[in-house]
Formats: sequence, C-alpha cells, structure tokens
Amino acid sequence: MASASVIGFSSPAVARRIAPWRYLQGGLKGSEYNWAIAFLVPYVAVFLTFVVYPAFYGLWMGSDPSLYTELFSDPIYQSTVVNTLLFIGIAVNLKMFCALLMSGFFMRRGWWVKALLMIYVLPWAVPALPTFISIHWMLNGEWGLLNNAIYQIFNVDGPSWLNSRWFALGSAIYSHIWKWMPFWTVILLAGRMAIPQELYDAAKVDGASGWRQFVHINFPLLANLYLICTLLSTIFTLGDFNSVFFISGGGPANSTHVLATLGIRDAFDLAKPRLGVAAVMSALPLMIPVVIVLMRKLRTAEVQL
Amino acid sequence: MNTLGRRSVLRASLGLATGAALARPYIANAAAKTATVWWVQGFAQEEDVAFRQLVAEYEKASANTIDYSVVPYAPLRQKIVSAITSGSVPDLIPSTPAEAYVLFAWDDKLVDVSDVVATQKHEYSETALLSASCYNRIEKTRSYYGIPFTSASLPNHIWRPLVEKAGFKMEDIPKTWDAYYDFFKDVQKKLRAQGERKVYGLGLQVTTNGNDPNNVFNYFLIAYGGVGIVTKDGRLHLDDPQVRDAAIKAMTYPTTAYKDGFVPPGAVNWNDADDNNAFHARQIVMDLDGTISTEVAIIKDREDYDNIVTMGLPLSNDGKPVPAQVANGIAMIPKGAKNPDVAKDFLKYLIQPQVSNDYLKAGLGRNIPAMPSIAKNDPWWSADPHRKAYVEQGLLGPTVPEFFVYNPAYAQARNEHVWSVGWNDIMQGGMTPQAAAEKAFKRVEEIFAKYPIVQS
Repeated sequence: MASASVIGFSSPAVARRIAPWRYLQGGLKGSEYNWAIAFLVPYVAVFLTFVVYPAFYGLWMGSDPSLYTELFSDPIYQSTVVNTLLFIGIAVNLKMFCALLMSGFFMRRGWWVKALLMIYVLPWAVPALPTFISIHWMLNGEWGLLNNAIYQIFNVDGPSWLNSRWFALGSAIYSHIWKWMPFWTVILLAGRMAIPQELYDAAKVDGASGWRQFVHINFPLLANLYLICTLLSTIFTLGDFNSVFFISGGGPANSTHVLATLGIRDAFDLAKPRLGVAAVMSALPLMIPVVIVLMRKLRTAEVQL
Repeated sequence: MNTLGRRSVLRASLGLATGAALARPYIANAAAKTATVWWVQGFAQEEDVAFRQLVAEYEKASANTIDYSVVPYAPLRQKIVSAITSGSVPDLIPSTPAEAYVLFAWDDKLVDVSDVVATQKHEYSETALLSASCYNRIEKTRSYYGIPFTSASLPNHIWRPLVEKAGFKMEDIPKTWDAYYDFFKDVQKKLRAQGERKVYGLGLQVTTNGNDPNNVFNYFLIAYGGVGIVTKDGRLHLDDPQVRDAAIKAMTYPTTAYKDGFVPPGAVNWNDADDNNAFHARQIVMDLDGTISTEVAIIKDREDYDNIVTMGLPLSNDGKPVPAQVANGIAMIPKGAKNPDVAKDFLKYLIQPQVSNDYLKAGLGRNIPAMPSIAKNDPWWSADPHRKAYVEQGLLGPTVPEFFVYNPAYAQARNEHVWSVGWNDIMQGGMTPQAAAEKAFKRVEEIFAKYPIVQS
C-alpha cells in the first residue's frame, strides 16, 4: 500500500483526488503516521528548546535599538571591535596555517613522532582555566617565569608583557593559538590520512618533489577541509572568552577587550544582560557571511575531503 | 496490544496535563517550608563549614528546610544575573558582586525586607543601615532591600620583617596619610640598597581589573576630603571644588608613586589575586587590600601570620580620622521567590547577634559583623592582633558606606573602572592628573545622567 501511495503521489492526476491533509502526511497512513510523529517529537522538542528558543530569546534580548546607542557610546567599544578583528584575523589564520604545517610533520613515520603527537595535544587536552592563569603569572613583569629566565640568561629585565595593549593582546593571541592549534592539527592530520597513498606513489614515479606533491595533491584535496575548519574556527574564536579574560583580563585600562569579554562584562559586571547580548549581537555583520559561506561549503556537490 | 493512535496520544497528554494542574497546589504546599538558597563560597574552607553549620542549626530550630547551593564568587554572579533576568529565581541570594542588590533594587527586582531589618535595627551600625537602604526607581522611594550580615573594609597589611630589615621600627611609621605611604618608599630605597632587586614599597592596585582599584581610589578620595562626592540623596557633587580637588589628588598620589618606581610595574594589570600573591612572596612591603584574607590565607604558617602587621587607616593630612568605606555583605530576596517567608525567617535567624557572631567566628573572622555590640561584647574579636585592628577600623571606628548605595550610577562607574582608567591615562598615556580627572568626571557625569533620583 505504501508503495502504491508513493506511486500515486507521483502522478498529479491521482494527487488531485487525495485530500490535502493526506498529502501532507507523506503517504503514511493510520498508525504509521502516528508512530512517525511519536519518533519525531523528541527531536523537534530538543531542537525547539535548545536551538530555536535560545536563538530567538537572544535576538529578543538584543532587539531594543536603545541598547546599541548605549553600546556605541561606551568609550571602549571601538577599540574592542578593532581588537576582535585583530584577534580573529591573526589567531585563526596563524593557528590554521601552523596546524597545516604540523599535520604534515605528524604524517611522518616513526614511534617518536607518535609519542611527540601525544605530548603535542596536551595543551588542548588540559583544562583551559588553570593553564591560562598559569600563563598570566608566567608573564608577570616582575616575578614571572619568563622574565626571570630572561634575566638569568641575559642579565636584563624583560618587558612588562601585560602592561602594554599590544603585548597583552599578543599574549592572549599566543595563548589562544597554543591552546587550540593541536586540535586543528589533529583534524587536518585526519584529512591528510584520508588521501590515498597511491596518489603520492604516482607523483613520486613522475619525479614530483615534496613541494610539488603539496601543491598538486595536498593543497587541492585539503582546500575544502581547510576552509571549513577556518570558518568554524572563526566562529569559535569569536566566542573565545577565556584566552583574553584570563591572560590580560581586558587590561591594561580596558584596552584588550574583545566582544566576548565586553559582552560578559556588560552582562554580569554591569548587571545589564541585554547590553551584553547587544555587544555580542553587534558581531552579527561579521558572523552571518561566515555562516553563509560555511553552509554553502558544507553542501558543496564536489566532495573533496 | 493496543495500537498507539493519534487520539490515544492526545487523550494521554490531556490526562497528564490535567493531573499535573490539579496536583500542583498540593505539591506547592508540600514545599512551602523549604527555601532555596544560593550562597557564595568562602575564601577559607571554614566559611563554608560555618554556613553549613548555620543551616543545620536553623533547620533544627525551625523545622523548615534550607535547600542550599554554595557557589564560587564568579559563577554565582552569573547565576544571579541570569536568574533575575529570566525570572526563575531562588528564595535567597547574597549580593554578589557587592553592588548587585543596589542595581536590582533600582529596577524593582527585589522584595522589600524592612520587616526583617526591623527585628535588629537597634543593633546595626549606621553604616550597615545606610548600606541596606536602596532607591527603587519604579516606586520612586528608598527602602530596605538588603539584609546586612557582614562588614568588610581595607586595612593596611605590612611585612614587619621587611620594615625592620630596612632599619626601621613599626613605631617609626608616620600617622598622617601621605607621610604614612611615603614611609614605604624609604623602606624600598633601603631594601634596594641591600640588594633586594625586586621588592617594592607600595602595593597599590593601580589596575583596571576587579574591585580592588575602585576601593583604593575611594579610600584616597575620602582621605583627601572627597567623601561628599555622592550624598545620601543620590546626587553627584563633582561641581564641589573640594571634591574635585580630592579626586585630582587621588589621581595623583598612586600614579606618581607608580611612575617613581615604588609600585610594581605589573600592578597596572593585576587581577584581584595578584596583589595577594605579590605580598605573600614579599615582593611588596605593604598592601592596602580588603578584609584580612591576606592574613587568614596563611594562618597555618604561624610565623608568617605573626610577621604581618594589620593596621587601620592613617589620619588625613590635616590630622583628622579618615572614615573607612565599608562594603556590607548583603542578602537579598528576589521578586518571584516561591517561599519568601521562609527566606525571611532564615534571615531573621541569621542576624540575631549571637547566631551572627557564631557564624562569623567559625569563618575565622575574615568578615566582621555589621553590629558593633557583637565585637564589643565578645573578647574573641580583639584576641588576635589582625582581627582587633580590622574590627576597630571597619566597625568600631568611623565608617561610611559605599557610594553606590546612594546612587547605583556609581556602581556602573566602578564597573567601568572610570577612575582607574584615569590612572592609566596618567601612567601610560602621559596625561596630567588634571586632564585625566576631567575625562573621568565627564564619564561619571554621563553615567549619573542615566540614573535620575526623584527628590521628595
């Protein structure tokens, strides 16, 4: 019967004879339809509760135009936007490029490479907060590990890493890369491992050097994966609160805030959650194109890896 | 076996919904004697033990139940703001951060607890009562929206061995404000001459992170005569020449000390824990920092504990006592609480002097009472030199409340770190103190314009 219904729906003449509500049931009848609904309800409920509702609640919270007037009048908002762009632009690209290089290194054979990989992923595996707090103390200008080492070796005082905007922002970017590069290295390593060995063997027979193998095999086959990873990383990095908050604390003088930390400050320090949401929402002009490109890439017909 | 049909699903759903609706009043009645409480985790483990003990004793005495969660400071702040924003609130919460209750009272988000305050009103210090009184912009009036249960102020913490190593005695420390802090510059010079490469005289938190820099600025402002920057009617007085002069001086002293090399360079980006760490590492000779947590943190290391001297505030430059600005620990009941009566009953129990005293003593006295009689009547508070100095400064001596209790605008100025950004403008931006102060005045005035208070 089901197959007959499917055949029937494919014919416009038959479909016209069926009541519209039956048409919407997708050809299922009686208890089949009820079971389908019963199986679907939990997924729809979870989707509505944990995706649609929070998204619309956030949009509703940040919907008052006066919030943006208040946000833009904040003396540190402009520098925060600049910091966010720098943080994302430098951290994401440097991290992904280095991860690409490192994934090539970890393709090498040998037990010591595997052992090194285990050590290499440790920054990603360990909890973020204690490590960022440790880095914050290591960077202390007077009694931090780094400057003590510089003094011991060179007999000169190192700079106060967290006292200048650019050093402090650079430290936060460095910490972000240190924390997340291993993760993306492993992802790209998995991508490289999926490339058939025969392609390399054939290239070697043709006399291709390592560089040419990279240009003609790795790069084209990894390009899509690399782009998707970069877009995903952009989204994750935009929401990265920990790297900035625990390394520079947004200082000195609120000069290293990014939108994620400004949003938290406004929401919880100023007890203005709507303003905090507005701070994060102001990143939508950047986020929406990224998400659109990501979606288009994810449904691309030409699957590479 | 019955077939699951659309009608059977609808019938069952309707039955469940009806059953739940009918049973709801009875479920609510059964829980009427339980209050949900979120409490802030203590600095010392003993504080959490003290709270659990307090709850157990209350439950025994009242037959009510306190369903409590002890949450660390930062996550609790986020939970509180989220709960009050969403309307899904517990019955009782401490004001975390300190100024939260003023901001929520402003927006009419808290239950009026005047009836609870009334039970011990005669016991509270004047400062504690002022702290509990907040302006509600919807009701257009002030009332008690918080219950004070502790007090905290900023004592000076000094390493006696470093002072003595520099060739001084503690008795050599001058009594007036600028001379007092200048003394530690001399200590630093002497210690540096002895090869102490990394020791600094002054632990002034000239940072833009956390609460510490706001407190330090306010203390300097008050010492220089700027206590009237915000008055009880909630008005800002930056047009008062005395206040302006005091603010400029409060901009000048710490930044000059910094530029002259008497404050660690890294202090411009310290967080709340960094000054404590620097002090414990003996990298700074003194620290002007809130509570005696600095001492309590090392209470098990008796030698170091005894080597720290806790001192109250010096006199002003013209020889008058400087009132200590006190932040009271405040408990609040959010509107929408399911069992506010149980929460109020618990608070009435908590603020009984004997109960409050036992609770604070079990927490090692890091926080001091909000009621002077407690400290006067129990010798325990003066049996330890640190507690004695702290209580004399923050409870028995002259005190004033935080400026934000008069107008929540000051809470926003505080959280934007307007004054300490001004410090940074001087230290790193090359501004003059006057120019930095003018910039800060402008921002503070902008913020106050958003918090108008109707004068009756």
